[in-house]
Amino acid sequence: MASMCEAMTRVLPGAAVIELSGEVDGSAADVLTNAYQTAVGTHADLGTVVLDFAGVDYINSTGIALIVSVLARARAERRKVVACGLSPHYREIFDITRLSDFIELFPDLDHAVSQLTGPAA
Amino acid sequence: MTQVARPAPRRLDAFELPSEPGNERLALARVAETVQGLGLSDSRLEKLKTAVAEATMNAIEHGNGNRAEIPVEVEVTQNGDEIIVAISDQGGEVSSTPKPAEEPDLLKKLDGGQSPRGWGLFLIRNMVDAMDITINGQRHTIWLTMRTGGAAHGEHV
Repeated sequence: MASMCEAMTRVLPGAAVIELSGEVDGSAADVLTNAYQTAVGTHADLGTVVLDFAGVDYINSTGIALIVSVLARARAERRKVVACGLSPHYREIFDITRLSDFIELFPDLDHAVSQLTGPAA
Repeated sequence: MTQVARPAPRRLDAFELPSEPGNERLALARVAETVQGLGLSDSRLEKLKTAVAEATMNAIEHGNGNRAEIPVEVEVTQNGDEIIVAISDQGGEVSSTPKPAEEPDLLKKLDGGQSPRGWGLFLIRNMVDAMDITINGQRHTIWLTMRTGGAAHGEHV
């Protein structure tokens, strides 16, 4: 089954942002893994990975499993994962699964970035 | 004492889907359309959609083994203030809703002590007001009940 998920990656000072769109399900494994690798591959010192779900309209249990895998890898590499752009429904699923105990949630990318990069000089 | 007759259950929709990965999206869209206007709040509708998708995915993958020629059957009924979605496959005793050996534990999953997968049944249980499973020969059915105006697990209304 072709993936209906797309990912764009960009690097900010100290953090990489993975902007996801479409559907995060089992078919998104390669997309998410490659995006993570692109995000951190050339910036080994990156401390934080931001998962932006603003363009995502569907996450299922196999998508949750992919997010768990990304989080596990990031933890092993001593990186922090934060998320933004989740709908209230998926925020609740992050609460129920306890993902929100390990992934700080922000309403949108602006809030996440301003929190991570601090006030402008 | 006067007893008020409860209306008979009303079938709202019934349809079949080929057991092909991804068809759970068709099920959730059609169920959402069917129950529109029956009094489910937006948040509870989203919960029902997630439960329907997960149950249909299990039926396609585990119950019918991704064999397109074996359909997943979906029936939506209304019984008083309850919306009931029944999703059937031909998995029989081979349950279409795999029961993990233990509850999903995120910390164990992160530390490699559990597979990252295994969230489906857990999500279903936490999305709806009641979940039941019946097995009749090869026919395996999961029943999802959502009350209009009620509150699912942990939900504030």
